[in-house]
Amino acid sequence: MSTASSTPLVEGAPDGPVPVKTGPSGPRARSARAYLMYVAGKLGGAAVSLFAVLVTSFFLFRIIPGDPVRTMTHGRQVSAEQLASLRRQFGLDLPVWQQFTEYCAKALSGDLGTSYQFHAPVGELIAEKLPATLLLTGVAVVIYSMLGLWLGTRSAWRHGRLGDKVNTGVALTLWSVPSFWLGLLLIITFSVGIGPIPGMFPTGGMETGGETGFGYVADVAHHMVLPVVTLVAVGYAQTLLVMRASLLDEMGSDYLTTARAKGLRDDLVRRHHAVPNALLPTVTMVFINLGHVAAGSILVETVFSWPGLGGLFYQALSVPDLPLVQGLFVVFAGAMILMNLLADLLYPLLDPRVGR
Amino acid sequence: MTVPSTAAQTASSLAWARRRGSVARFWRAYRTHRAGLFGLGALAVIALVALAAPLLVGSDVQSVTNAPGAALESPSGAFPLGTDQFGRSLLGLLIWGARISLTVGLMAAALSVAIGTLVGILAGHFGGWFSTVTMRITDWFLVMPTLVLAIVLATVMSRSVWTVILAIGVTSWPTTARLVRAQTLAVESRPYIERATALGGGHGHIMSRHVLPNVMPLVLAQTTLGISNAILTEATLAFLGLGDPDVVSWGGMLQDAREAGAVSSGHWWYLAPPGIAIAVVALAFTLCGRAVESVLNPKLGVSAR
Amino acid sequence: MDTTTVPRTARPSPRALTLLAVGVTALALTAAAATPLNPAPRQARADGQRTLTVAVSQSVDSLSPFLAQRLVSTTVHRLIYENLTNYDAKDNHAIPGLATKWEPSPDKLTWTYTIRENSRWSDGKQATAEDAAWTFNTMMTDEGAATANGSFVANFKKVTAPSPTKLVIELKKPQATMAALDVPILPRHEWEKVGDYAKFNNDKKFPVVGNGPFILTDYKVDQYVKFKPNRKFWRGAPKFDELVLKYYKDGDAAVAALQKGEVSFASNLTPAQAASLAKAKNIKVNDAPGRRFYALATNPGARSKDGKKFGDGHPALLNPKVRQALFAATDRKTIIDKVFQGHAVEGQGYIPPRFSAYHWKPDADQRIAYDPARAAALLDEAGYKKNKAGKRVGKDGRPLDFRILCHATDPNDKAIGKYMQEWWGDLGIGLKVECLDNVSDPWLAGEYDLAFDGWSVNPDPDFVLSIHTCAALPSTPKDTGATDNFICDKKFDELYAKQTAEYDAAKRADLVKQMQSRLYDTGYMNVMAYPNAVEAYRTDQIRAITTMPESGGNLWGQDGYWSWWSAVPAEVDDTSGGNGSSTGLVIGIVTTVVLAAGLVVFVAMRRRSTAEDRE
Repeated sequence: MSTASSTPLVEGAPDGPVPVKTGPSGPRARSARAYLMYVAGKLGGAAVSLFAVLVTSFFLFRIIPGDPVRTMTHGRQVSAEQLASLRRQFGLDLPVWQQFTEYCAKALSGDLGTSYQFHAPVGELIAEKLPATLLLTGVAVVIYSMLGLWLGTRSAWRHGRLGDKVNTGVALTLWSVPSFWLGLLLIITFSVGIGPIPGMFPTGGMETGGETGFGYVADVAHHMVLPVVTLVAVGYAQTLLVMRASLLDEMGSDYLTTARAKGLRDDLVRRHHAVPNALLPTVTMVFINLGHVAAGSILVETVFSWPGLGGLFYQALSVPDLPLVQGLFVVFAGAMILMNLLADLLYPLLDPRVGR
Repeated sequence: MTVPSTAAQTASSLAWARRRGSVARFWRAYRTHRAGLFGLGALAVIALVALAAPLLVGSDVQSVTNAPGAALESPSGAFPLGTDQFGRSLLGLLIWGARISLTVGLMAAALSVAIGTLVGILAGHFGGWFSTVTMRITDWFLVMPTLVLAIVLATVMSRSVWTVILAIGVTSWPTTARLVRAQTLAVESRPYIERATALGGGHGHIMSRHVLPNVMPLVLAQTTLGISNAILTEATLAFLGLGDPDVVSWGGMLQDAREAGAVSSGHWWYLAPPGIAIAVVALAFTLCGRAVESVLNPKLGVSAR
Repeated sequence: MDTTTVPRTARPSPRALTLLAVGVTALALTAAAATPLNPAPRQARADGQRTLTVAVSQSVDSLSPFLAQRLVSTTVHRLIYENLTNYDAKDNHAIPGLATKWEPSPDKLTWTYTIRENSRWSDGKQATAEDAAWTFNTMMTDEGAATANGSFVANFKKVTAPSPTKLVIELKKPQATMAALDVPILPRHEWEKVGDYAKFNNDKKFPVVGNGPFILTDYKVDQYVKFKPNRKFWRGAPKFDELVLKYYKDGDAAVAALQKGEVSFASNLTPAQAASLAKAKNIKVNDAPGRRFYALATNPGARSKDGKKFGDGHPALLNPKVRQALFAATDRKTIIDKVFQGHAVEGQGYIPPRFSAYHWKPDADQRIAYDPARAAALLDEAGYKKNKAGKRVGKDGRPLDFRILCHATDPNDKAIGKYMQEWWGDLGIGLKVECLDNVSDPWLAGEYDLAFDGWSVNPDPDFVLSIHTCAALPSTPKDTGATDNFICDKKFDELYAKQTAEYDAAKRADLVKQMQSRLYDTGYMNVMAYPNAVEAYRTDQIRAITTMPESGGNLWGQDGYWSWWSAVPAEVDDTSGGNGSSTGLVIGIVTTVVLAAGLVVFVAMRRRSTAEDRE
């Protein structure tokens, strides 16, 4: 009975999974107000961060050496007037501070500018590619979080035994492998085929094209297998380790000993007491991983020719296609901020110890 | 005159004895971690190979004009791992590449941890608005997509090993900074710090003599874990073509292999060894780091129990 | 209130997680197992349609001919629109396209084109001189429309269409390239409606109205471009039922797709890929003379038209002996053998031998052969003697340490840089290889000593010659010129002016050769190699295909639509068609089953746990 949180857990409802246990209406009303304050604070912080990202993305990419107009016209006969008109068209003829204020004003109204090389609105280009990236990495994060949680729980419950050691060992090894390298090996093995292994999966891309309805879904799923396997293999170790560590932590707690001493079945204790509590740090991490979704897939998208944001970013950077890199950067960092915010907002709902 | 000096001597010798004692204690605890020992052993072997590379293979292994073999030979007695597209021995390159990969990993991690420690201690020690501002900046760095930032930095600067080290170091410090700050706050709340301040110890004295030694274990663990990350990031940047084209590194070898079309032409022996080498070193550092972590902080290092 | 949150935290119990994980694994495994174990070439589909799939590595920058600059996009435009003229597949001479005939006036300033009457837009309307005149006039008046091809109309004074079959172009100055206007002619009735040409990408409405051998029917960014044959094409319809350009970011993935039969054609092969594909069944590797030259450019001291000097090229390079020494210390044979592994031809003159009419070779005493001893002697003569440390140092004390600008995306640049470092290092010359993703900036600022340079040469050599004239220099250091390497040589310029106004083909060719001789002697553009076009296609999908030039030419990036237009599908005897869709169906069914099972399990778990909560 050492920690505040464990006390009500054991005394209040020995059978039910009750990590959240607050008193009657009085304290609740107060805690609701406290939560609102907390939410407001976090929202404010996120807004500040987002603005900081907007500002950074503007200045960060201006330090890239390279005049976009010159790069785009390199090797072509372009008159000075044409260059000037291109600069005008891109707004590069204005002083930097004016470019900046215009960029901010536009960005706040949701307009990220027009790509130099694709002659299309940045928002449109990103919207075109975003679903592919979200689909691939979203599925991967969900799978590896689940896998990590499951294996982490198993490992912790049997910690020290062979199963645990193998489990952690495999996870750590896969985690140490460069993802692009694993992807290439998977392509060689399962896409091209080695010896008796036939090439079962497409070598790249997201769809064959021409399929509709159900066939389309199946086709995309087929294309997704190898990239998802790559991302999962390299990514699940983190979830596993965090889950294992926090579960071990919980298992050392007094309340569990008490619960067991009271004669509760082991798996019930685990499922109803230890796991829910241990889940907290892991869930936070899952959100942070989701935040990495957008940026994290650059490598795998390159290896598997996945038509997502990663490839677009790389193309934009080499010009530099300023509006496009800026927009992508905002999306990448914005995803992180959003997910951190969600984690922050959910945390106190899941854990009574925080924010109340 | 003599009295204080002897006192100082005893103090310093005491300190030495204490340090020796703690190192011995550390080692005794570390020894119980089998995975950690395995990691350490692997690292020792690899470090030895990297150091002895000039004797083992000689710097001539990098030369393209004196390359001994034909392009992309498969493994044979003369070339146990085959040759690359220039006819150079892949085994030789792999050994030589260990030098760069390890150097970059160590230096980048050291840089990252150094920045992190400095920021963390300063923020923790001074507190107030300074701390708020630094931690805001740290948080802001935390939400920046690391790989994206590193790519941008590597694009901006010229292609060299230093660029890669800088790109990794500058983007990966915030985690360390936060941990060190928390530790600093914990250390400074102890009563003896108050005593030291009362005795006239300045900021510099407190930070370097009292806080730093106490955050050192944490810093050590962070560095060890950071190295494997740095080595992976180095490989990633090299793979994206942002490495130094003049030197041989494992990531660079993978990039060369891909550029030569080794993947689709079935030259797996070109592709497999550098990847395995990266994985082994990264794994070894991770295992060491986890062992160190659990020795220093048994609550964290539950793996040992 | 609390009870709603409580079960949620408890939900992911290990058992549920187990089941979920099992479900996911099952999905992966069944997806794998459901795939046919024998990945037969998928070109015969259930409906008997024959698809020609071409792997491409570049993303399309725009589908509007006014904006598109990348090779993949201009290739698409070749397929869906007609130019006034085309190039013969045999020997590159100009042949009729949308125009059947073209003639200059005696004063060389007016060209009259006769437009064919049998070319129709895919919406049924007649393609006329009116369309051509509109296309050119739009490019002359609208800045946005001039983005990609503005240079073609820079010398145009007036373009009119006196009748539907007659197009008249008046020039400011004589221009010999009037049968080489690589400008797609657009349907006026479709394009007039477009508001802003700088922002219109022609990728929203399908099929795209065109009059080329193919009709663009579908496009997905970085995934594919699809075409149907234009059955009414005046030269005859293509033989395949569908053409797909499929995008592969990674060259290895494209080759793997070729090996599997997912695509019929892949290009830009590395020597290793070519070697391994040559051994494969049903694949033909086409190793054709390329249209590119690959050169070592030396900075002649960057300057602009107003006489201002800029950049920081090494002054030693202004000495012709140093330039000669550098080239003499470059072993081109080794480059061909080792770097290109035989997939290139040793460099001679500026224009590759593929364009036989214009190709030129230095004679024996003019030629700078590989000869390190002579290189050392030349450097000694030029006053760059070796010091004690073995480095060559000039009289001003500045060592011969050069930088070479290299494209990070081109493995050959990096490889040759490695060799040069060693060859030149032996001579006491230092070399730093500076590889960048984007070389434009240091290049245009003149901030380089040496650079790896290369251009694809068109059947008409005017453009690649024009980039070495004084007129191509930037007006001021701040501007961009069309210049490639800041070369400005009076003699070269005089010859260039002559060839521009020379309408006699043989005489013009002679002038072009003289220009190349002059360029060779200046030593600012040292052609090291003509890289081959290394490509491969599946013979079980393509039975016959026209290369360009017809004997031993290449397929991707031709000056014309010959390859894909001419491709004949291979006979397929097996009728196991429908592989693709049945596979899809099986996977689909499996997916549904797994998802349904997951749902059932989920519901069951939910009920069980609520039951437990109640107990």
